[in-house]
Amino acid sequence: MTTGVLLYCFDTSQVAYSKITERCVALIKKHLKLPITVVTNWDTYKNFGPMGMINYKIMDNETNNTKLGKPWYNLERHMAYDHSPYDLTVVMDVDYFCYSDKLLRLANTESDFLVHKDAHDVIKSEKMEYHRDAMLDLVWATVLIFRKTPRTKAIFDTVRLVKQNYVHYCNLYRITYPNFRNDYAFAIALNQISGHGDYDIIPDSIATVPADAEILNLEENGAVVRWKDITVKLCDQDLHFLTKEVANV
Amino acid sequence: MNIDQLKELSRQSFDFNTQKANALRKAQSDQVLVYQNHIFRADPETICLVKTASEGGKSFFILDSNSNPVEIKEPTEFLDLLLKKNQSALNAYHQLYQDIRNRKV
Repeated sequence: MTTGVLLYCFDTSQVAYSKITERCVALIKKHLKLPITVVTNWDTYKNFGPMGMINYKIMDNETNNTKLGKPWYNLERHMAYDHSPYDLTVVMDVDYFCYSDKLLRLANTESDFLVHKDAHDVIKSEKMEYHRDAMLDLVWATVLIFRKTPRTKAIFDTVRLVKQNYVHYCNLYRITYPNFRNDYAFAIALNQISGHGDYDIIPDSIATVPADAEILNLEENGAVVRWKDITVKLCDQDLHFLTKEVANV
Repeated sequence: MNIDQLKELSRQSFDFNTQKANALRKAQSDQVLVYQNHIFRADPETICLVKTASEGGKSFFILDSNSNPVEIKEPTEFLDLLLKKNQSALNAYHQLYQDIRNRKV
């Protein structure tokens, strides 16, 4: 059985995701030691520096979504099932930096689909909450671990349906966030495919560096971040950087 | 103490609590253990249950972190792994805690 990491990376006019991907790839190679496939477009592909042995899948991505008023091109994740050349795939955001082998350990379970339900802000030290109007538990699609099975195919097919009929599903589940988010789409798909019941999750919380934090240093084993006069050093744990300044450190 | 000193003390306490909370969450994450293709937490509750259930030396059943049932056929091996994972996580937490307390970070 083959196991590998699938990344989606599309540069925007404001964020060089290719630079973030270079760091992400180096950490995957160091801590997970898994083969990597990067799904990208031609323009972004030209911006990559040398990253060693990497598989690339070039495609034309959708460019009609925004996040916090900025272009945000991450609408292809529902195709991960088809894009992945692996039997067992770890899909992760390129701004999720592996400073541990946690995901490697979680890859060896009998669950065919795993996702986080919890994330916490490392500065404010509190759980990150969505708008709680929603009528279902939401998930963080930052990291997905899935094996190719009929059930996971159904999950990804449902995500595609949700994406195509996003307004309807938002109304159905009382989701008030106007733009498409993978987090909501996967939460809805998991809810539906699980018969509105429980599904397997990763039982810890994603350590998240908030969007307005300043990155003072990126080190071999972690990062030093600051927000106002609070400075936090984080080491030997996976970190999700919402601040895109990570491209420039 | 004047008001500036009091504010500084309060800020230092806030920093300490933030760093401690982050270190504790890391320890909880480090306690995640995969055994027989199931996910467990090497926390005190699990360890105590496994310790008690394994006293007979026979196989027993337990729920994983997603409430899926698992038959543990090698209780001693499982308990050993849980303890190692728990202590490894807490050892790292202890070191981080000492660093935070000594204001090394």
